[in-house]
Amino acid sequence: MREASERRLGDKADVTALLGAFCFFLSAIEYMVPKPLPFMRLGIANLPILLAADLLPLPWFLVLALVKVVGMSVISGSLFSYIALFSLAGTLVAALVMWAARRAGGRLISAVGVSVLGAVSSNAVQVLLARVVVFGEAARLIAPAFLAMGLVTGTLLGLFAEAFAAKSSWYALASSQLAARPGEGRDEP
Amino acid sequence: MRLRPLDFVALLAAAAAVAMACVSAYSPKGGEPFVVVTAPGGEWIYPLGEDRELEIEGSLGATRICISGGSVRIESSPCPNQTCVAAGAVSVPGQWLACLPNEVFVRIEGRGAEGGVDAGSF
Repeated sequence: MREASERRLGDKADVTALLGAFCFFLSAIEYMVPKPLPFMRLGIANLPILLAADLLPLPWFLVLALVKVVGMSVISGSLFSYIALFSLAGTLVAALVMWAARRAGGRLISAVGVSVLGAVSSNAVQVLLARVVVFGEAARLIAPAFLAMGLVTGTLLGLFAEAFAAKSSWYALASSQLAARPGEGRDEP
Repeated sequence: MRLRPLDFVALLAAAAAVAMACVSAYSPKGGEPFVVVTAPGGEWIYPLGEDRELEIEGSLGATRICISGGSVRIESSPCPNQTCVAAGAVSVPGQWLACLPNEVFVRIEGRGAEGGVDAGSF
């Protein structure tokens, strides 16, 4: 931290790119973990998005969400299948929910609450989509397991993000720099 | 680290969503069973609880189906073997009647006597 004030992280685009790369990496980790059901994921690839809710303005935040969808789909080989559609819908809705929760909640909400809301809304959207696309009426039978999974993984991921944000000097640097210079950097993606 | 007030709100909201999903998935939804008739000309749905007579046009001719007293049976059929008529009446969701020659298929759907016993023997 001694020379932290001299280090520059670059602008919002650079932070987005770094977090996007982080999404790719975590997607690869995620892909290695066995899943009980095809759509059931741990959601660890959402960690950068969770962190970015504090750091990035909405346009860049959505770019990061799209990068995550593409990265995840490329790594799991589902880019040109309907599974990517599930991923896209779930991630975008979760991203908007998390961003709104983060900004509206202010100091009243921590990463845990943001993460839980994001995870459950992502899974809820995917269940709704599954109802339309794959399973029909039977989708409501998988909903409880899905949402409960979101609650658990969302809480764990939120706890991790909170601990990470508290400890990481990179995060402290990024949040102070991006917050200190709102006008600087390329604002529109 | 400490959880903040809205974290609990978020957790509660998520738990409520899970609870609602459980209720919708596992509560035995009453929903009266219904009769689904499939024929070359299309598919029809009738409530099992209302008595009525149907004439369904199959590939050989008209199959007469009778819904009465909560059960459904095929009354007459233009088919050569009359297996469908001999099958008698069905009344429980999941049961079905079929007339293969005439391509008429009757089944009962919906929730109802789930977990019941099909048959008993001593």
